Amino acid sequence: MSAANSTTVYSGLGAAPGRASGKAYGIRNAEDIMAVPAGSILVLRILHPHLAPLLPRVAGLVVEEGAILQHATTLARECGIPAAVGIRDACNLFQDGELLDVDGYTGKVTKWHVD
Amino acid sequence: MAQAAEKSAQPYRRHIVGLPLQRSLFGEAARAAPTIGLPALTSELDFPAQLDENGDLFLDRSKVAALTKALLSWFTPATLELMRSTHAAASDVLVDATENAARAAASLNGASARKLSEDLANRMALVLAYGVLSKFVPDVLLRALADAGDVEPPPFPETSAGAKLTQNTFALYEACCALNYTPQRLQREWPHVLPEVFCLVGEFCKRQTGFGPLAWDSPGYEDPHYVVRLLHSAFDEVNAEQIRERLSFAKRPVVTGSAIDVPTKITALRRLLAFWLDFLERETWYVRRAFYVGMIPLLRQLAAGYREEIPAFQPADVLFLDIREVIAGTVDSAVIHTRRHRYMENSEYLSLHGIESSRLARMLGSS
Repeated sequence: MSAANSTTVYSGLGAAPGRASGKAYGIRNAEDIMAVPAGSILVLRILHPHLAPLLPRVAGLVVEEGAILQHATTLARECGIPAAVGIRDACNLFQDGELLDVDGYTGKVTKWHVD
Repeated sequence: MAQAAEKSAQPYRRHIVGLPLQRSLFGEAARAAPTIGLPALTSELDFPAQLDENGDLFLDRSKVAALTKALLSWFTPATLELMRSTHAAASDVLVDATENAARAAASLNGASARKLSEDLANRMALVLAYGVLSKFVPDVLLRALADAGDVEPPPFPETSAGAKLTQNTFALYEACCALNYTPQRLQREWPHVLPEVFCLVGEFCKRQTGFGPLAWDSPGYEDPHYVVRLLHSAFDEVNAEQIRERLSFAKRPVVTGSAIDVPTKITALRRLLAFWLDFLERETWYVRRAFYVGMIPLLRQLAAGYREEIPAFQPADVLFLDIREVIAGTVDSAVIHTRRHRYMENSEYLSLHGIESSRLARMLGSS
């Protein structure tokens, strides 16, 4: 992790190619899945297949679980949604509404600090 | 040293399962695992996963390492194919047992219902054991591929179970919209909607039962109310054309071996890895569907019998039995009361999984 200007960069694994920007929206409990904002960057601990219908409305995906062989990789690739996995503690690092860039090639997630 | 011990005592996943009935199935998974026939998995003591009283899942890394080492030296084209066919058979048999239980449940007496519950539970436990193994076996296969000199990307599934679910959910959205029920209207008026719409949602739920969280008590696609809310969250105010485009699932580069390949170790490894990655998308579905479609009707039968003996017995009380108690027909009201009380007091678990007070009764179809 390194801080530069008004951003902080977090490194994980690139799971599905592409780049996306948007506001973070975290899934922390079952109720959170019922209000996913369109165009958001979905932040979860793990993406299960039953959440797949939510993917077409989001811009990008950030997942805490570290491995490349997981649901998130399969589903994000199929829907063409840039995804970074293995971002440890992502659900705590990124608060709802914070601006994120997701690089699905490199697995880097950039958080923008807004004064 | 102390830090290492502390790390090994940390759960792999927290609060994954809360219902005593479901928790007890994890113990059965450990008993079933040796029948899979993998090296270093010859007794239930070798099983690398354990679920504690809080529903936290622990993985024993030393057992995972032992199994990994044994597998890497065991893989040959023949053992890889055996591993695939044994696993596929376990999944298929569970699907058949589920449908069989659903068909037979209503006509069974207590003893027959218990016998069928045992049969279904054994098959669920075996698939659950594979589910635990899926946390690391695909990585072992990927490592074996790298060791064998394979440089291709992993063989991710084409139109996975989650992708098909998305297509089907979008189709339901479009069908409801065609009857002038936008997601917003559907959510606002549910369940007081046109009979056609009510049937559409109900039929969808029947077909998709099994998709949902690992914890059975957390609502999933078996629940129309959940589906209506999910439709709203997924498709309200979206650009339908854009969604359609995303759901066209443009083909990714082909990564599986050709069918005419000689079964080398690499092609056998890739075939098995593709199978596990597909299973990974269905592991929860298999067991959750078995519970809702097969086990619940059996439990209803058993609950009716218990109620004749214990008038205060509630249908949802069966969810607080251990599977061994279900099979033996042993019911202790005081024990059930204690377990239920402890479950209802765990507000962190209930909130995490979105479990409302009426949920358990609804699961048994008694509210």
